[in-house]
Amino acid sequence: MKGLTAAVVVALLVPVAAQQSLDRSKVPVPGKPAVLVVPAWTTTTLASGAELIVSERHGLPLVSFQMTFQGGANQYEPVDRRGLADLVRSMMSEGTKTRDADALSMALQTLGTNVGFTVGGESGGAGFQSTVGNFEKTLAILAEMLQTPAFPPAALERLRAQRLVALTQSKVDPASIAGRVFPRILYGASHPFGQYPTEASYNAVTRDDIVAFHQAYFQPGRALISVVGDVNAAAVKASVDRAFAAWPKAGSKPAFSYPAPPERRATTIYLVDKPGAAQSTFSLGNPGPPRSTADYYALQVMNFILGAGQNFQSRLNANIREEKGYSYGVSSSFQFGKGPGPFRAGGNIVSAKSDVALIEFMKELRGIAGGRPITDEELASAKDSLVQVVPGQFASVAGVNGVITTIWTQGLPADYYQQLGKNVAAVTKADVIRVAKQYIDLDHLAIVIVGDRATIEAPLKATGIAPIVAVDIDGNIIGSK
Amino acid sequence: MRQSHLFASLSLVTALVAQHSAGTSAQAGAGAIKIPYENYVLPNGLTVLLSVDHTTPTIAVNVWYHVGSKNELPGRTGFAHLFEHVMFTGSGHVPYGVHDKFTGGIGGSNNGTTSNDRTTYYETTPSNYLETEIWLESDRMGFLLDTLDIAKINAQRDIVKNERRQGVDNQPYGLANEILAKATYPATHPYSWDVIGSMADLSAASEEDVKNFFRLYYAPNNAFLSIVGDFDPVQAKAWVTKYFGDIPRGKPIVRPSVQPVTLDKGQRLVYEDRVTVPRLYVQWPTVGEKSDDRFALDVLGAILTGSRTARLTKALVYDQPAAASVSARQSTNEDVGEFAMMITPRPRHTLTDLEAAADAVIEKIKTDGPTAEEIQRATAGQELAFVSGLQSNLGKAQRLADGAGFHGNPGYFQIEYQKLMAVTPADVKRVANKYLTSGRVVLSIVPLGQLDQASKPAESKKVGGSGGGAR
Repeated sequence: MKGLTAAVVVALLVPVAAQQSLDRSKVPVPGKPAVLVVPAWTTTTLASGAELIVSERHGLPLVSFQMTFQGGANQYEPVDRRGLADLVRSMMSEGTKTRDADALSMALQTLGTNVGFTVGGESGGAGFQSTVGNFEKTLAILAEMLQTPAFPPAALERLRAQRLVALTQSKVDPASIAGRVFPRILYGASHPFGQYPTEASYNAVTRDDIVAFHQAYFQPGRALISVVGDVNAAAVKASVDRAFAAWPKAGSKPAFSYPAPPERRATTIYLVDKPGAAQSTFSLGNPGPPRSTADYYALQVMNFILGAGQNFQSRLNANIREEKGYSYGVSSSFQFGKGPGPFRAGGNIVSAKSDVALIEFMKELRGIAGGRPITDEELASAKDSLVQVVPGQFASVAGVNGVITTIWTQGLPADYYQQLGKNVAAVTKADVIRVAKQYIDLDHLAIVIVGDRATIEAPLKATGIAPIVAVDIDGNIIGSK
Repeated sequence: MRQSHLFASLSLVTALVAQHSAGTSAQAGAGAIKIPYENYVLPNGLTVLLSVDHTTPTIAVNVWYHVGSKNELPGRTGFAHLFEHVMFTGSGHVPYGVHDKFTGGIGGSNNGTTSNDRTTYYETTPSNYLETEIWLESDRMGFLLDTLDIAKINAQRDIVKNERRQGVDNQPYGLANEILAKATYPATHPYSWDVIGSMADLSAASEEDVKNFFRLYYAPNNAFLSIVGDFDPVQAKAWVTKYFGDIPRGKPIVRPSVQPVTLDKGQRLVYEDRVTVPRLYVQWPTVGEKSDDRFALDVLGAILTGSRTARLTKALVYDQPAAASVSARQSTNEDVGEFAMMITPRPRHTLTDLEAAADAVIEKIKTDGPTAEEIQRATAGQELAFVSGLQSNLGKAQRLADGAGFHGNPGYFQIEYQKLMAVTPADVKRVANKYLTSGRVVLSIVPLGQLDQASKPAESKKVGGSGGGAR
């Protein structure tokens, strides 16, 4: 090291004796935990019917602005137009009635920010982060984009062509293939969770579809506007009122009424051939419960122990990655939303170990359901982690805004975080085993493996775990041995 | 990285120009570019960087070692990263698993990343665990070898091979970086191999290699400890002294003198991969952290691609439109850098045509230079990006360490910002002419058996991957 500017070499005054007496095998005792401080926010309803939440957070000259709409592609996309919502959100940046897309983009670049639109499966929105000085100007542009999009036909053709290229590319990407086939097997082609865009659905989308979706979807009756940052709540309300003065009252929140997932089939291995693949991409699971389940906290504790990504020493990762070395990382998760999102355990497994890895996956899934006792340390670690992770989620304006929108979209109580500690603390070992048994259906598990069929099929079969069915990248059966 | 998600950040560089978020607010300016910190050096050479921020009751502890893949020897590529994994296998007084227990198990996180130039390790946790995290980091710096054995190395070797399979061998276009690095630099040049290394070299790493590497590079005089967040600095300093103070200084480190390279003549390569759409990569050798030309190259990248009005994006993706996507940007490592372009075609457009179309745009900027307005738009997002980054303890910890480690100045981020904002149209025109020359690597990645889809197929030399092979 060449010497730091302004470096100060501190004379070390710790006596040598003190150094020698340091017992490094003694784990330092943590200090007193900080008292949980949940950001405060105010809620009002605008004349249009949209709700407004403002959380003042001073210190840095930043603002996070987010509009969120209840419902998404699963509620508002016709079955033969999957991919429409994603095209709509891109079309929102293709110009307005008063300026074209390049002018719009340059105005935002000059403000140093970007307005992004999204429409996901169950919610959508528009938002930006800006310096506080550029908040009003950026908000005015967002309102213009939302209310007066031009939807030029040439832009739709360009976006369609780009989506089709990406779709073609994705058909040889193992993660993308698993992302299509696993939900298709679980939910079937007639359930929104089992559907995805295809060449046919992209090609079917017309400009009229875009216009109709925009009109039907971006309505104040299902909208939340949430603003977090170095702002004054009253001033924000005045700004938002000005920006959306012309927004007519319309729309309501969707019912989120999903069809029941199809009847579950006995545990089966669905093998998608990926010739020459260096790894097999595993997805094991079944439809899970919605976020509103009363077992939410027990499920979170159970999944932390089993395979949560933030728990490096989860049973799945400790076994299949750390002990056996079959993978760079394996995990499990529930996709908690309004509908019955999937439970999935999986990861990328070196091809030659596909069979033994499957045996270990099944062993851990049986273990968490009672085969292997939950230890005190596992339970304590899961609970500590789920509660103590919370302050970090409030570290940024975008983080606080994410928390607010999640509480709103999932219909959680306003004191959700104040009650979290108590709710997590109530979970017992018996609860963990009960929810594992109830929500991981070992007799009706879908095991989707994307890999090199020529080398992995026979070893997988020899495990005797389940019959093997070969499927294509749309989950259609193409023959079995 | 030890844990998955972001394989790309293996080849991590300080990405100053965010491609999609440009911008600055008119009223603030460089006054907002501040991180309060203090720094000092222990007698054993450990640099300590402290920055207090009580906003959130959390802390980040980051240890930055000045060693990366460029310090590897030929035949041992991938070693620095493999070693990073070994650092998580327990140490003299910390049994395996305890590190995770006091990070992920208490609502925090840990990880490591390896680049060509440096290796970092971090913990983010509730602030009341600061002493625990200092204890964890000091023990593996001081006592890793106490419990090391070949079984631990072998276990991590298997995992790292799977990291390579996941990120490179089983990934469409996954070998591009490796092929480009090999073609851009001479065979013995320390930047001629990718951080992840080859399968054969990973197999060859021995217990003795690990021990020697540790003794030389994982000494306090080669390390930068940053602590950022909600803590009492007096208490933190006492703990740092208590746990790191008696770790002995290591031997002096002789660093290779690595010069940027130029290519006398272009190379034109084609690689067959299990892909459905061909893709074109063009890479020019440029400069690293030590040259201020990197700032004009950063701006050049933002003027060419990113926003829809950027020149290459506008021409290729919007006006013609012949490409599905295009990106071009400068990557800056400590000693060298590369300016890399990637183009994905739309159907019925050849890579040959797209290469010519991109070259026409680049020729124009070499002739005329950009406008002042283009530069203003390209850098307008820098202030917002910086201020937003102040919300992350870990981001600040790594920024301070990068400045201290690469430039001998933890406050280098201010100089970096000023230099980037001072870039002129003449600077951009000059670097475009100086670096974007015919001395470049053009790589086409095409579907199996479709060599004719390469750009200028008759002139393209077929290459294979060096490391993993198909399985």
